[in-house]
Amino acid sequence: MTLRTNAEDLVVMAVTAFVSAPTLPRPPYRPDVEGMSQVPIGMAGVVYNVRVGDPAFGWAGDHVEPGVSVSHPDPAVDHALHYLTCVGNEARVVTGLAAGARGVVVGEHARLLVDFPPEVLERLCIGDEILIRTHGRGLRLLDFPGIQVKKASPLLLERWGLRVSAAGRLQVPVVAILPPTILGSGAELTPEFVDQDLMTGDRAALAEWGADRLRLGDLVAVQDADHRYGRGYRPGSVTIGLIMHGDSPVGGHGPGCQDLLVCAHGEIEPVLDPKANIAHILGLR
Amino acid sequence: MLATNAAQLVKISVMGEVANPAMPGLPASPYLVGAEGEPLLLPMFGGLVYNVRMGDRALGWAAELVQPGVSIKHPEAGANMALRAYACLGNRVVVMTGAAAGALGTVVGKSGRFAEHVICHFPAEDVEKMAPGDKVQVQAYGLGLCLLDCPEVTVRNCSPELLAALDLRLGADGRLEVPVKGIVPSVLAGAGAGFGSESSVISIQVPSPEALHEAGLADLRFGDLVAIADWDSRFSHGYLRGSIVVGAVCQGGSYRRGYGPGLVVLLSSKTGAIRPQVHPEKANLTDLLALP
Repeated sequence: MTLRTNAEDLVVMAVTAFVSAPTLPRPPYRPDVEGMSQVPIGMAGVVYNVRVGDPAFGWAGDHVEPGVSVSHPDPAVDHALHYLTCVGNEARVVTGLAAGARGVVVGEHARLLVDFPPEVLERLCIGDEILIRTHGRGLRLLDFPGIQVKKASPLLLERWGLRVSAAGRLQVPVVAILPPTILGSGAELTPEFVDQDLMTGDRAALAEWGADRLRLGDLVAVQDADHRYGRGYRPGSVTIGLIMHGDSPVGGHGPGCQDLLVCAHGEIEPVLDPKANIAHILGLR
Repeated sequence: MLATNAAQLVKISVMGEVANPAMPGLPASPYLVGAEGEPLLLPMFGGLVYNVRMGDRALGWAAELVQPGVSIKHPEAGANMALRAYACLGNRVVVMTGAAAGALGTVVGKSGRFAEHVICHFPAEDVEKMAPGDKVQVQAYGLGLCLLDCPEVTVRNCSPELLAALDLRLGADGRLEVPVKGIVPSVLAGAGAGFGSESSVISIQVPSPEALHEAGLADLRFGDLVAIADWDSRFSHGYLRGSIVVGAVCQGGSYRRGYGPGLVVLLSSKTGAIRPQVHPEKANLTDLLALP
């Protein structure tokens, strides 16, 4: 059975962004889970040596954003960037030495995260203009009215390997199936805006759940998490998310999980597949 | 009486103004989105609340995260952060301007991200005289408080006066015995995770009435002491098996997913050095602080 969508009704629209600059408060310290001071590194700017497909754990950083983080200084445009951009959308460098280079959106944190080939990173400057062809807002699965598509592009849905089970549930390939106790910072936000962190203060629990080897770009399921209109606990719900930023030493924080497919009544059946990573699915590396 | 370092603590002024409620501006969509996607248009956390007071029920109000009594905020972000971090439950507050000038109250709570208030209790007749914008000064006292015989227990948001009123004891096993109304599992801890416990509450989610009933919190009230198991709030709120937290309820229920009554943390132990004891009759700040 093919998966029917309303993709042909969707509008493709350009939104401008700029390569962001890392910022720090003064003094620059942030307490970790044991209260020890850390200087966070890894958010915003161009991260040269961490790319989608790499481990989410083990970096000497905080919320490491792989590749290029882009944003817009006008809050209204920046919100459009957040609410319209979907994972798998195409990005194009408009200005600077890398003008014309093409990349792919690989997540949404406080900024949008764009993957470019390594040789493009060498030519990108903070402030360079990036155009994103936003495509996916409004996307629906016509045979699954109980499943909401959050920020998955039509391209990602097409290549993900989604299937319909004999029982009529949507089978979604993921690398891990996690319990709702793991969800932390981000519960205060709507599922239309950035991510919710997996809490990594309990390293032994992470290992038991198989969450300690997650990679950037991995697709995961969280059970009993209802992320249709908020982010909270509701037995029977399922949330499928994308691991888009790295681990954090701060309590209640950890790798980011961005909502892509959500349901409240078990319409989604996560299926374990070690290749369920967008770097592989979207052919990025 | 447990030994503390109270003699070393600095008592310092921080000031807020009685807050007005705030709603989104044009294009005038005032709705929040409820747990099932329904539009919600209800009073939200803010200023002067006349008919919801400490000791009242926390759930069932036609309001979103209602804060009992008087919520205050400083208009400048840095000063407001100091207000939120320095103010401790049980601190004396004094109305400095307006028709209620001179009225005395007590700090009873805080809010979280997006509201960023300190919540104060005043006698009902003083609340009648107050107005948004009135300056309310907190005699902040308690930041840095330590239990000298319980190094495994971190004190947060708690004045020496409240600590004394709690009349805590060490059990035979050396664990600190703390009266609570009930104990909730960490899966119910929601919004507030990842934020600093010195200034932000943690929401207790209520996915179903049964969930609170199982935790012994079916008739949850403002001021109730509640424990969260497997939860670490020494610095920022987060999951950790074997840890335990005790806090006081200072925000009402929510119709949104991920939110619920807000708990301001008072005591936190990574190693389980707190033993919550279910004694509902001894576990409400309204009685412990003899709030008028």
